[in-house]
Amino acid sequence: MKRERIKELVSLIHEISPKDRKIKIMNVCGSHEHTITYSGMRSLMPENIELIPGPGCPVCVCSESDVINAIRLSQRDDTILVTYGDMLRVPTKEGSIRSSGRNYKMVSAPHEVLKIAKENPEKNVVFFSIGFETTTAPTAALIEMGLPENVTILTSQKLTPEIMEVLVKDEEVGVDAFIAPGHVSAIVGANAWRIFPEEYGIPTVVAGFEPDNLLLAILRILYQLREGRAELENVYRGVVRPEGNVKAQELMYKYFEKADVNWRGIGLIPKSGLEFRKEYDNINAKKVFNLPEIKEEKVKGCICDKIVLGKAYPNECKLFGKVCTPSNPKGPCMVSMEGACNIWYRFGR
Amino acid sequence: MKVEIGHGSGGKLTKELIDRVFLKYFDFPELKSLQDATVLPVEGEKIGITTDSYVIRPLFFPGGNIGKLSICGTINDLTVSGNVPLYVSVGFIIEEGTDFEILEKIAESMAETAVKSNVKIVAGDTKVVERGKCDGVYINTTGVGKNVRNLSPLNAREGDVVIVTGFIGDHGIAISLAREEFDVETGVLSDCAPLNSLLVPLFEIPTLRWMRDPTRGGLATVLIEFSESSGLGVKLYEDKIPVREEVRFVCDMLGYDPLYLANEGKAVIVVGREDAEKTLEILKSHELGKNAEIIGEVTGDGSVQLITSIGGVRRLELLEEDPLPRIC
Ligand code: SF4
Ligand code: SF4
Repeated sequence: MKRERIKELVSLIHEISPKDRKIKIMNVCGSHEHTITYSGMRSLMPENIELIPGPGCPVCVCSESDVINAIRLSQRDDTILVTYGDMLRVPTKEGSIRSSGRNYKMVSAPHEVLKIAKENPEKNVVFFSIGFETTTAPTAALIEMGLPENVTILTSQKLTPEIMEVLVKDEEVGVDAFIAPGHVSAIVGANAWRIFPEEYGIPTVVAGFEPDNLLLAILRILYQLREGRAELENVYRGVVRPEGNVKAQELMYKYFEKADVNWRGIGLIPKSGLEFRKEYDNINAKKVFNLPEIKEEKVKGCICDKIVLGKAYPNECKLFGKVCTPSNPKGPCMVSMEGACNIWYRFGR
Repeated sequence: MKVEIGHGSGGKLTKELIDRVFLKYFDFPELKSLQDATVLPVEGEKIGITTDSYVIRPLFFPGGNIGKLSICGTINDLTVSGNVPLYVSVGFIIEEGTDFEILEKIAESMAETAVKSNVKIVAGDTKVVERGKCDGVYINTTGVGKNVRNLSPLNAREGDVVIVTGFIGDHGIAISLAREEFDVETGVLSDCAPLNSLLVPLFEIPTLRWMRDPTRGGLATVLIEFSESSGLGVKLYEDKIPVREEVRFVCDMLGYDPLYLANEGKAVIVVGREDAEKTLEILKSHELGKNAEIIGEVTGDGSVQLITSIGGVRRLELLEEDPLPRIC
């Protein structure tokens, strides 16, 4: 059944894809990129349709300063740093958590921190909470449940719609359409993307993570482009409501507030991330441990900023594949399996 | 009792450790001589030999422990290279402070696995290192077998079929969940098992070309290595590759790829197309092979391509590092 449906979607995509020009469709979510590469979806697209990964990954764009602070915390005897698996390899000028850190553990979800805290009552347990709205909400829920006394949080939380707006304001970016992330949208609501079609004229479709759902999103985008429309559509209706999860949003903003934050390789972007509100200094690791802001030094030659914004391809970087490889990443995009350079390296094009 | 540094001295304490734990379980006459080397009769032509060291955290995991693993691994390495496994030696590096009880459990399951699979433990060694210098116990095993078939990637030809003997990824998931703090319950057990009784009957198959046990790096890695050494390629069909529902679920959740997860009780087999059905039949008649499937074929193009369940093509590449779970 599903097979049939996929066949049909693919042949429709071929049928209505315009033959006379290139179309760049950007996904801004690591999980979308995961589905696209793992299912070999690019091999099913017509020649002129490019599926490009945007700033979809909070790992790549996590500021170097935060990662270095995390490394330093894990070097303290009295502290255990806890974070997600793919953060362990992120390179900085002081190494990575895995190469330079000492006391660290990985988790797959925020609440697993509680067990670590309980088993190590004499240690400071610092949860390095990075991510987009999808990980912020569970982190807020964890705080709401009441944190054990030995737990503090080092946040490096980013907001997705905000970065996309930076993207479209830039004239150079030739993105024809967006696929908006389903998980993030379940929290922020489909309406958060409305400005893209309405103010910037870019078709935007909210999609889930099954291949058929993504293909449907691509098809809808092509219909819009063919008819010269730019609208917000949602093909993940079962999960994403127009207003999102209001409760989760309230909880997030109870503890956090919007702040100007650093995106690695891109720079400081106004109101594009979340920091703890003043009242919560006692659980804010940046305050508790008095962590400094460390100036980021861009690796010479790394063009991640351009790549993440869809302005350049990885093979345009001089370091690509020679100096910078998945086992020895120089820039953030080479780190995670969903980083644009990493994908390019493994799958070529 | 606890292991003390003196247990590694080679003196009385060492003897006590060997007698009380290892000889108690390793009841093989060949071992009793306790000489530096054991003389074994080699009837006729060729023998196969392999050695491997086992370092695993945690020592005990769902479906097995380091001891069972160290025997299975060596039996499997011998078998997939065309040998009938006969003898195994065991070397232990033990951390000071390790409980005798733990060692006994490990020794017991090693002996049980050896006996069950008709191999004998015929030589051994123990060393004790200071606390903190190793992670509980490390084990090295060397295996000797009678060589029956010459199996090599170079035997393969375009059009041969690729078979896997059952569900992949179980061991990788069982270990990852046992090791990390992930709050995921699945009941998935390591597939750790000796494969000689399953695979030795295949030595009869005329077009049996090559076998491997896809341990570290998983199915994808061994097939890429196959492709590199044979100069041939492989086309795999994602839909045909047996993966347990629970394993798939954890992979989706943590971002692992089952094709790259370790297995300790599976084999990948390349046979001529004309013998594919016969091979499958032999495998399926055995408990350890009942979920065997033809998962792909050998091609001429020098790369390993996965035809995904949506009909897309994904080229499989060597992973440069062990996979880490993903956040997104
Ligand atoms: S690591 Fe990836 S999924 Fe994660 S953010 Fe970077 S690009 Fe996206
Ligand atoms: S190849 Fe490496 S250095 Fe170049 S842009 Fe990508 S991550 Fe940066």
